[in-house]
Amino acid sequence: MLTNLFVSLMANFQALVFFMLAIITVIAALRVITSRDPVHAALFLVLIFFSTAGIWMLMEAEFLALTLVLVYVGAVMVLFLFVVMMLDINLERLREGFWRWFPFGAALAVVMVVEMVWVLGNEQTAKTGEHVAKHAANYSNTKELGRLIYTDYVYAFELAAVILLVAIVAAIALAFRRRGGTKRQDSEKQVAVKRADRIRLVSVSPEKRGE
Amino acid sequence: MEAQILHLFQWFWSLFGLWDLLWGVIEPIWPMLWILIKIVAIVAPLMIGVAYLTYAERKILAYMQVRVGPNRVGYYGLLQPIVDGVKLLFKELIVPIRSNKFLFAISPVLVLAPALAAWAVIPFSNGVVLANVNAGMLYILSMTSIGVYGVIIAGWASNSKYAFLGSMRSAAQMVSYELPMGFALVCVLMAAQSMNLTDIVNGQQSKAGLFGWYLIPLFPMFVIYFISGVAETNRAPFDMAEGESEIVAGFHVEYSGMGFALFFLGEYANMILISALTSLFFLGGWLSPFHGWPLLGAATDWIPGIVWLLGKMFFILFMFLWFRATFPRYRYDQLMRLGWKILIPFTLLWVVVVAAWMQTPLWLW
Amino acid sequence: MEKISKFIKTFLLLELLRGMSVTLRNMFSRNITVHFPEEKTPQSHRFRGLHAQRRYPNGEERCIGCKLCEAVCPALAINIEVAEREDGTRRTTRYDIDLTKCIFCGFCEEACPVDAIVETRIFEYHGENCGDLYYTKQMLLAVGDKHEVQIAKDRAADAKYR
Repeated sequence: MLTNLFVSLMANFQALVFFMLAIITVIAALRVITSRDPVHAALFLVLIFFSTAGIWMLMEAEFLALTLVLVYVGAVMVLFLFVVMMLDINLERLREGFWRWFPFGAALAVVMVVEMVWVLGNEQTAKTGEHVAKHAANYSNTKELGRLIYTDYVYAFELAAVILLVAIVAAIALAFRRRGGTKRQDSEKQVAVKRADRIRLVSVSPEKRGE
Repeated sequence: MEAQILHLFQWFWSLFGLWDLLWGVIEPIWPMLWILIKIVAIVAPLMIGVAYLTYAERKILAYMQVRVGPNRVGYYGLLQPIVDGVKLLFKELIVPIRSNKFLFAISPVLVLAPALAAWAVIPFSNGVVLANVNAGMLYILSMTSIGVYGVIIAGWASNSKYAFLGSMRSAAQMVSYELPMGFALVCVLMAAQSMNLTDIVNGQQSKAGLFGWYLIPLFPMFVIYFISGVAETNRAPFDMAEGESEIVAGFHVEYSGMGFALFFLGEYANMILISALTSLFFLGGWLSPFHGWPLLGAATDWIPGIVWLLGKMFFILFMFLWFRATFPRYRYDQLMRLGWKILIPFTLLWVVVVAAWMQTPLWLW
Repeated sequence: MEKISKFIKTFLLLELLRGMSVTLRNMFSRNITVHFPEEKTPQSHRFRGLHAQRRYPNGEERCIGCKLCEAVCPALAINIEVAEREDGTRRTTRYDIDLTKCIFCGFCEEACPVDAIVETRIFEYHGENCGDLYYTKQMLLAVGDKHEVQIAKDRAADAKYR
């Protein structure tokens, strides 16, 4: 009896894992927008990324799943947390004007919902889950993805890369300013210092010269 | 392997006549149980390794500083790590007031768990691996990159300025040094044309033994990978996250007892992990350095691969300790300069160099 | 030219390697640790350790309660109370040294006109409770009685320099 249950469970193991991850994702997503502390919200976002990576893993998209963890969890969210933790956020001020902006936010939400219904309700895209073909064990997701990116979609890919580069340059150009009057050390100069730059050897005779 | 272990179990339990009963219960869960056994077989020696790495560290540091090191507990102080463990186990757990209790409690786990999880894809010999995944290298990179969360959360949750400063430092440091590490691995990836760790090691197999390893063509990458590895594990000379002289002990100031011990375990487990990875990526993993050599090759081919792997890991770990004994701590701006202004441009350049090199007939690997 | 050679040197990590060679060499050199309870370093006869009060050979305590040591003590570690004994001599009723305050400068010993308070070679004393290192007159006298031979020898060795 117990073993039967177990066997049937194992058969639907993938479905079980999927639903567990999906539930975690949804709950964490709700907590991102409801939790009072921005640090908690950011941590819940990390949890979302993690469980999403798990779901992608189930769809045999291991390259994307691991890259999601590597890039978003490992780097982007770290910097995000970095900033959020250092900010002294006044919750009262954040709440101000909630109702004033509410119609705008609601409209955005409606647009997003409509878009999702449109995409998911479409005949072609609806069966995404079933479309995933089972591949042989030596099938390399990464290789396939690389081939596609650098052949069929090379223009789109390069364009995205250029846009990102422009964004980086713009962000740095906006934030880069050198305030006058600050004292800073220049490691390069410090490292380049030689003994002769700092020490002057003077030969002093041990006794006073006779007057 | 599996069948042999199973056979051993069968023999053992048959002595008591319990085998049929037992097998009826465990048969459906055997695949999971087998994985569990493998995990224990990896983690248990790892934990002992961590304990004795602390002992080795204290001894080697002592000898480099013309001291003796621990020598009171057991012969040559050999029981010292166990005594330390017991001490930490029985110490009082102190939770600072106004700290975030939940995050404070889970952050040591978040440090240790990725350090252990990464071992899932580490091959110990040809085929001896828990999970032979194709994207093994990516998995390793993502596991080492999420180790930073434990540190950040520990610093934030303990509600202390020293801890917070330490965690900020280490967050910036770990994110920065992931990039040169990743680029160094891209070179390995190009050379091996695979992200599977077993394939990477097998790609280094040749008749030339030592000279077939990626250490030779990718030597600068080996150095950079190792430097980034030292920075990634927050070890001296990049241990500003702890910085005893400025921020007392950094992110784990507020931890006592087992909480502190878990951070310690995580740090040392990460060191062992980095040493294993360095030996797999650059030092030919379990391959003999003398394979295919005229005389020495035949004389040393009987040595099992795991011995070579462990020997290489010992060497790398020794380098970790050697660094700690030799170099003074980096200043924060120097560290960032090294990471962003030297290592990253250099690795980027070298990726291109290796890619171009691989297109010429001069590429022999 | 110099810049280029410096650049190359930096990239070859030569200075780091030199530093590492120093530590490696030291690793194989003989260590100079003294294994303390089993081995001890030689001590000078002027060693300033635990305090003691001495007696004359006839058993009479030397201290006359002049309070010079109390006055000279820079750490204010000495407390003395004085009264007249039945035989009319001036004696201390209380002579306490707080060893947790004491800085072991040896001024008390220098100030003493009768060589009553001395510092011995003992340095491995300890206290298990709070207040154990507050030495009273009886304790100081006991230390003196126990180590009188050594104390006398050390004073004799140092006599010609005084």
